[in-house]
Amino acid sequence: MEKKSFNAFEMAKKQFDSAAEMLELDEATRDLLRTPMKEFHFSIPITMDDGSKKVFRGFRCIHNDARGPAKGGIRFHPQETIDTVRALSMWMTWKTSVADIPLGGGKGGVICDPHNLTKREQEQICRGWVRQIYKNVGPFTDIPAPDVMTNPQHMLWMLDEYEIITGKKQPGFITGKPVGMGGSLGRTEATGYGVIITIREALKKLSLKAKDTTMSIQGFGNVSQYAIELYTQMGGKVICVSCWDQKDEKSFSFKKESGVNLTELKNITDQFGGIDKARAKELGYDILDGDQWLFQEVDILIPAAIENQITEENVENISSKVKIIAEGANGPTTPEADKIIESKDIFLIPDFLANAGGVICSYFEQVQCNMNYFWTKDEVLGKLDQKMTYAFNSVYQFSTKNSMTMRVSANIMAIEKVVDACKARGWV
Amino acid sequence: MKNDKLLSRLINDLNERAKESKCLYEIQNLLNDRELSFDEVCYNIVTILPMGWQFPEICKAQLLYKNKIFQIEEFEETPWMQEVQITVQGKVTGQINIYYIEERPQADIGPFLNEELTLIETIGKQFELYVLHQQLRTVFGNHGNIENSTQSEWRSILDLLTRTDKGFAVKITRKMINFLCIYGVKEAESLLEKFSIPDECVKEKNFPFKALEDIDSMMTLTDVFSVAERHLTEEEILTNVHKWIKQESSAFMANILNNNATTVSEIISALEKYHFLAEQGLELSGLRQKSFTVALIRKFMSDQRTFIDVAKKHLNVDSFYKLTNNLIHPEHSLGKLGGKSAGLIVASHILLEDSNNAKKVKNLKIPKTWYITADGILDFMKYNNLEDIMEQKYKDIGLVRQEYPYVIHVFKNSPFSSEMIKELSKCLDDLGDTPLIIRSSSLLEDRMGTAFAGKYKSLFVANQGPKEKRMTDLMDAISEVYASTFGPDPIQYRAEHELLDYNEQMGIMIQQVVGKKVGDYFFPAFAGVAFSNNEYRWSSRIKREDGLIRLVPGLGTRAVDRTSDDYPILISPKNSDLRVNVSIDEKIRYSPKQIDVINLKTKKFETKKIDELIKKCGKNYPIINKLVSVISEKYLLPPKKFGTDYKKENFTVTFDGLLSDQVFMKEMNDILYTLKQKYEHPVDIEFAHDGDDLYLLQCRPQNLGYDSKPITCPEDIKQNEILFTANKFISNGLVQGISHVVYVDPVGYSNLSSLEEMKNVGKAIGLLNKILPKKQFILMGPGRWGSRGDIKLGVSVSYSDISNTSMLIEIAKKNKDYVPDLSFGTHFFLDLVESGIRYLPLYSDNRDIIFNEEFFTESTNIFKDLLPKYSDLSNVIKVIDVKNVTKGREIQIYMNAESDKATALIRDINEEYNSREHYHFRTKDVNKINIDKKDDYHWKWRLRAVEKIAESLDAKRFGVKELYIFGSAKNATSRPDSDIDILIHFIGNKVQKEGLLIWLDAWNTSLGYYNFLNTGYKLENILDIHIINNDDIKTKSSYAMKISAVSDAARPLFVNKK
Repeated sequence: MEKKSFNAFEMAKKQFDSAAEMLELDEATRDLLRTPMKEFHFSIPITMDDGSKKVFRGFRCIHNDARGPAKGGIRFHPQETIDTVRALSMWMTWKTSVADIPLGGGKGGVICDPHNLTKREQEQICRGWVRQIYKNVGPFTDIPAPDVMTNPQHMLWMLDEYEIITGKKQPGFITGKPVGMGGSLGRTEATGYGVIITIREALKKLSLKAKDTTMSIQGFGNVSQYAIELYTQMGGKVICVSCWDQKDEKSFSFKKESGVNLTELKNITDQFGGIDKARAKELGYDILDGDQWLFQEVDILIPAAIENQITEENVENISSKVKIIAEGANGPTTPEADKIIESKDIFLIPDFLANAGGVICSYFEQVQCNMNYFWTKDEVLGKLDQKMTYAFNSVYQFSTKNSMTMRVSANIMAIEKVVDACKARGWV
Repeated sequence: MKNDKLLSRLINDLNERAKESKCLYEIQNLLNDRELSFDEVCYNIVTILPMGWQFPEICKAQLLYKNKIFQIEEFEETPWMQEVQITVQGKVTGQINIYYIEERPQADIGPFLNEELTLIETIGKQFELYVLHQQLRTVFGNHGNIENSTQSEWRSILDLLTRTDKGFAVKITRKMINFLCIYGVKEAESLLEKFSIPDECVKEKNFPFKALEDIDSMMTLTDVFSVAERHLTEEEILTNVHKWIKQESSAFMANILNNNATTVSEIISALEKYHFLAEQGLELSGLRQKSFTVALIRKFMSDQRTFIDVAKKHLNVDSFYKLTNNLIHPEHSLGKLGGKSAGLIVASHILLEDSNNAKKVKNLKIPKTWYITADGILDFMKYNNLEDIMEQKYKDIGLVRQEYPYVIHVFKNSPFSSEMIKELSKCLDDLGDTPLIIRSSSLLEDRMGTAFAGKYKSLFVANQGPKEKRMTDLMDAISEVYASTFGPDPIQYRAEHELLDYNEQMGIMIQQVVGKKVGDYFFPAFAGVAFSNNEYRWSSRIKREDGLIRLVPGLGTRAVDRTSDDYPILISPKNSDLRVNVSIDEKIRYSPKQIDVINLKTKKFETKKIDELIKKCGKNYPIINKLVSVISEKYLLPPKKFGTDYKKENFTVTFDGLLSDQVFMKEMNDILYTLKQKYEHPVDIEFAHDGDDLYLLQCRPQNLGYDSKPITCPEDIKQNEILFTANKFISNGLVQGISHVVYVDPVGYSNLSSLEEMKNVGKAIGLLNKILPKKQFILMGPGRWGSRGDIKLGVSVSYSDISNTSMLIEIAKKNKDYVPDLSFGTHFFLDLVESGIRYLPLYSDNRDIIFNEEFFTESTNIFKDLLPKYSDLSNVIKVIDVKNVTKGREIQIYMNAESDKATALIRDINEEYNSREHYHFRTKDVNKINIDKKDDYHWKWRLRAVEKIAESLDAKRFGVKELYIFGSAKNATSRPDSDIDILIHFIGNKVQKEGLLIWLDAWNTSLGYYNFLNTGYKLENILDIHIINNDDIKTKSSYAMKISAVSDAARPLFVNKK
């Protein structure tokens, strides 16, 4: 039996099809949204450092821009395929829609392996990419951002090339830039704070007060640290944190019944969010197995590390005390586990709602760039709060109105909003 | 205590020596001063002389020459006097006298010291040379005025010669006749006959010919020169005579150097004399200079022809004169310095003395270094009656290991001879109080081809505090390095290479540590090692001959040795921009996290966390801005000149600043290129940088160690033995003893339809890594192992999932119309390098290679039996038990980078392999080679030990049902560092389990110690105990599946159940 190989785009289409079924979309709308509206394939010829010539393949897909200029990252990957880029651009359309920011979905990439390229050659690829596509991207058309194996440096090279060609300063062309070079403040905090804002709103719906709750969180990176910070400020108590130990190549949970102290933990944490076990022990933390964070007697769980953490096997061990799970990471819950969580009556805040803080902040970066006026960090975070709160409540209302889970309603609502925009424009 | 007393006396003595050398130095200056007249020189000599004596205030000097007396003032002659005669050309022409005008206590000779006698004799000798030169100078007139010379000039030279040195006059005559004959002067030929041997003597006769009658040589001289006068111009005669006289004056060197038994002391005084004469205008012919140089190279460095060939092109007699200023040697030393010392001296001359090269590497320096000759150790042992330790090397290795601590103890408590102490003290004065490194430089180490690196100790000393203390520390370190000659590791290595009978001696380099003092710490900004050949390429764009640099912050110790918990930065000097790690995460993860420093306060060598050190030292860390990058969100930024706060921000070591300015890179390239070219061999260097200058610390031919020797595939292979061949990006080496293959089928893998299944492939590999015999299996799979981004590109594994494999093979199989880029192991490249796992890219579709796909896809696949849980993946993952499917054979992979060819063969088990060095591939610690015993020794004793455990185990008391053995001890494949896998079927309660574990722990400790004594491997847990219960056996979970497993099944042992 010939099995069909894994294809991200096929999977994205399948997901869309089942939502389309629920929404009873017409054929034309399905046709429009199943595939990207625009695709660019182009060659980027480069003179390598040794003088030889090499041609790289570049892509840009705009899945849908009915709600606003397309937004999405640029990936440098040795085995990039157009199908991957298509799938990712579609997911961006839904993501911007659920976060309620006036942007569409796009994605791009170059087939290349930065491990095999010098810095200068990477710069040439960045500039070459812009030269090929500058007519079809721009602050009011399509706004790229960093993604797999690209970083702020690549963004600056691209911006520079774009500005040279167009003869104008247009920092809004691209996001993910360093602060001071068109980047936005508050970016570091955005995702972690965003998760807690959704939790705060969820607590209100459950008539709970943050100060009466406890939390356990997986991961101790950026997202977790800021989530803990804001949650603690709100009066909540985090009693367990897990993190990956680089040296032992496994994860551990750090538990303190009286509540973890963020500052003291940060002091003994390396750049990857790995906590020093010995020193944590001295500070009175119990060192437990990596999966123990999930089984704590707490009100709130935040998986904020990697995907597929809550599975069929461990979901039953989640304490009956747990009331909220907020997905700080992408795809931490498997579909099987999802069903059981639903049956346990736990309020689940799905990933692309819970961690929308990042994309909202990118949007803010673009907005600030376009008016060339930059907000203070407080202003950014204040506006983030408004956006997140609004996004959460829209999904919540949608879910209560239609008796759907938060995950399904976020999905359906996102697609519906895009459909509405397309229809309003008279496209379908 | 003994040392202390000796020391305080020594310090007094040293003041004396200092006075003496100052005196000698001043006299030398005086004699070289051409502005002064002869009389002025003599007056100055008597003025200076007294300052060299113990009691200068009552010391008077007097110089008698011909009829003159030179002295400062009148004084009465006393009985307390020393004298030396001035003999010029065999005639006593004068005398130097030293008087004490008052009585002083008895010393060595009357009130005088032995050294004072030596001093006056030395000065006398120098004065003689001076007089001789003065005479010649009057004769020659000024240099360069040969054209204006009058006829009488060469005649007066000859007159002088005939009167003073008849022998030499005859020599000159003979040379002139030869010259005239070559010139074609008939008269000369007839004169020549007078000197010639009668014809009949030339014919082969078996009896000696009769000596010629004593001819009147003076007569002949006149004859010869009259002939010369008739046929040559004045100028020609004068020039020739001039030349011959000069040549003659270096004859003493030839005498010294051509004698094998001459000691270093004799050579040194000859070199001094030569140097003195050279300053006076002595010139050597090119040939003579060369022959002296070669003789000196043999004397001090090496007899190896390959080495001499290189060294003679770059050293000259003067190099050795300079060397002797920093040389420490026992009295009768024969002079060999040992490999490391010789290597550094030659490299420094190649780079610094040759002006072409020196221009390129103008910032390169060599740290101040003193050398102790290799026979210093013999002197030390003789002085302390330790000669019997020499026999240590013939003892059983277990005994050697056991006694080694005792040897160290004895050596460290033995004093040095006062002669050596004196020399070391001089050395310490010269080096000052910066930290020192005491490097071993043994005779064996210099033999091109033997990989003797890292066997002997090199020790750091902080060198702080009062001089007595520093002396004690220095001697302590030297004696410890001496003791390491008798350590078990080098002795075992020598035994394996049949070098035991070689008379190993240990030279020492005492070198200033390169670095700066920052707070309490002393360290270089960065250091590292560099190789001409890169055996670990991480990109297809890097060529082998581009070289490789391993860089670390601080002392280079972390770059030299592979470390398991830290990573050096690897650089390809020709492509410094092609880094191993590219993304920010990788760059941080694989950056050096620790730094080695010398703590001047505790006087210890310490390892610190780099980020803590940076926060502490901040900007005082030399050129910190070139070494680190600031971690700013998702961005690595170069530190700013002013804006960067080293106390607050986070940093990671990248060396980005250093590499981006290109200066360092260019310099390293030049150094590597120049040395390789001149050595005509790839080299391996150590270097350090203190923030201002780059220092070369060591240089030797690149050691083609076990994992980097090109291995050519045997010729007698049959076609059906070949499993695959590869011809792209091949490194050197040999991987043998492969009993299992794990093959992830590229087609099967790409056909997997869900993410979950792909992830499971990674998980299954991780489990296989635990089950399969360590380092005896290879992993083969499509595309990029460890791909983090898109799992489709390759099996998603982390390093711990593959840590036990012996080789990682990435297969680039055409997928539709494109061939995937391979990762070259980049995802865990540094882990692979540091743990010695080999990597091979396999382009299986290439037409000119062989790929026996059938073997992998059609052989019996035991995967399902090993991991029944993942049986649905059995058409993707194939596990092949090579022994089973090939009737007892194994896989061997021969890799040759020179020809860029690798061949994997199915062959009979290589017996040769079982004995020696190839273990190397399997052991984690590259520097340890401890295989002395026959291969079957290691598993046999392990098996016996476990049988004994089973037998003596009280099964009832401890609740044990069965005891099994599996793994290497059962499979007869144990290595010295193998553990013993035991499976215990346990049916008792908690208390019994605790008891059992305690009982086993005692076994563990004693077996571990036994293994250590025999092999040097310290294993914390030699017993790897796996306890399973009834449930495990029922469900066949965890290790229970080992029982009645298809491959490597656990074997039950007899358990005493009474």
